[in-house]
Amino acid sequence: MDSSERIQIASNFLLQSPPGEINDVLNDVRVIISDDESLQEGVLPALREYNLAQFIVADVPGTKHQSIVSTAARAPPSESDSEASKDRFLDPRSKTSFAFDHITLEASDPQTYEPDAESEPLRGALETSTLSYLAAHYLEGVGCVYAVPDSPDMVIQIVANKYNPTNYWSGRWRSEYKVAVQAGTLSGRILANVHYYEQGNVQLASEHNVEITLPTGSRPPADLASKVLALIADEEGKYQTSLNDTYQEMGEKTFKALRRALPLTRQKIDWDKVLGYKLGAELASNKAGFAS
Amino acid sequence: MTDTVDSMLDLMRRLPPTRTEENVAALVDICPEYADDLLGSVDQPLKLKTDRATGREYLVCDYNRDGDCHRSPWSNEYDPPLVDGTVPTPRLRKLEIAANEAFDTYREMYYEGGVSSVYLWDLDDGGFAGVVLLKKTMTPATPNEPSGSWDSIHVFETAERGRQAHYKLTSTIMLHLVNRRSDNGEGAKSDGRKRDGEVSLSGSMTRQTEQDWPLQDASSHITNTGRMIEEMEIKMRNLLQEVYFGKTRDIVYDLRSVEDLERARRQRDLQKELVGFIKR
Repeated sequence: MDSSERIQIASNFLLQSPPGEINDVLNDVRVIISDDESLQEGVLPALREYNLAQFIVADVPGTKHQSIVSTAARAPPSESDSEASKDRFLDPRSKTSFAFDHITLEASDPQTYEPDAESEPLRGALETSTLSYLAAHYLEGVGCVYAVPDSPDMVIQIVANKYNPTNYWSGRWRSEYKVAVQAGTLSGRILANVHYYEQGNVQLASEHNVEITLPTGSRPPADLASKVLALIADEEGKYQTSLNDTYQEMGEKTFKALRRALPLTRQKIDWDKVLGYKLGAELASNKAGFAS
Repeated sequence: MTDTVDSMLDLMRRLPPTRTEENVAALVDICPEYADDLLGSVDQPLKLKTDRATGREYLVCDYNRDGDCHRSPWSNEYDPPLVDGTVPTPRLRKLEIAANEAFDTYREMYYEGGVSSVYLWDLDDGGFAGVVLLKKTMTPATPNEPSGSWDSIHVFETAERGRQAHYKLTSTIMLHLVNRRSDNGEGAKSDGRKRDGEVSLSGSMTRQTEQDWPLQDASSHITNTGRMIEEMEIKMRNLLQEVYFGKTRDIVYDLRSVEDLERARRQRDLQKELVGFIKR
């Protein structure tokens, strides 16, 4: 197997990493591949893809808050250096762009930018509403609102992570909503991933897609923003409750349909009976057992 | 060398249990020299084969494999046919037949469907070992019905000590449950929102136990291992449902709170104020 095929497999492993375990997976892959040189270069695209898809958060230099690294957060490509701009991201809250290192997960080289004057009022209003929604329902959530370039649309992203390697678990909640102002729709996606690996490997992966119609008629940005976040709060609350119902149903019905907790008789099996007297008698003739 | 195997096992403990087969195959491709270590340590979902002689389904694993052929517990024949394939001694085969019948009853009582297979083999020290396999798959009739699969692999070794037998049992359960929902917003209870989604819960866990049981005759091995395996499956099923799956749900609630945290905070502050006021 040549080096590029090995890198391909390593990349595929990295993309499957549970929340907060990318470094553990990378360490395992390093030992397995044992070719740090080609690995370092080779897995960068996979790490970038993982970070963008998983809404990895960065400490924005010069601020006290965190910002999401995602496709929506990408800074507009600069003509002078298109390769470097691939890894520059916007923090619209502080109007700062920063460079992001996909291996160390560190942000650097902050630069202020001028937001689009036309979209900024609505974006800012959505951000204010998003942050108060986060404070109400997320214990450690990070949220960002991005103006879609050359369009009146907005993207709201939320991520909450909890990593507890000491107790062998980790979890991530991601949600993303597109506010299509002209089309009057709010379309969203909620993803939850949980890994619990104390003496085992148990994973939850859930996905929920929703499309909501926004009330028609133009309204001030602050009004629209609080309406949008009220709809999101309602949908996410309902989803979380329905997820709980799904657990209940899986536990009571699906689990039982696969394997009952006890037989219909509600008693454990009488093995002597199961073996059957005839069968037992036949085998009893092999009295000597097997060790003799 | 052991570092590589340790890393492979650590990796398998982290990557999604739903993708075990694909990931084990990829690891074997990268490091063919560790294939045996890996395949011997990582359990994979069981595969079904149909006995050519009886038409009955059976489960295949490493323990009934000889080259590319698998032995059926029902006819004792290899498929594809193998003239000099390894088979248990006649005495052990007799016990194997009885064990297959007993665990088939067990399967029917607990699984109400599915497939079971038991394979026994002689050990060099005079004892014997065996594996009890159980598998059930739920295939949904419509996309909105739940689907799932359960695989159990129970490997045991026994050594006879006079009227007693010592058993060492290693049990692995692999479980996968999927719930799909789609609601186009037209339902009676609907709020006009279009929704679809999927919840997938999967897990694999292994537990070991060693026990001594009385031995009356050869058939005692079946009742003894039967009781041990039944006990183990009850324990592990309960662990998966109550502890493991319950824990993943709790973690979701650690990420997002259904209750308004701000309101709860304000209430706590108010309470503190009141307490302070009373104390004064």
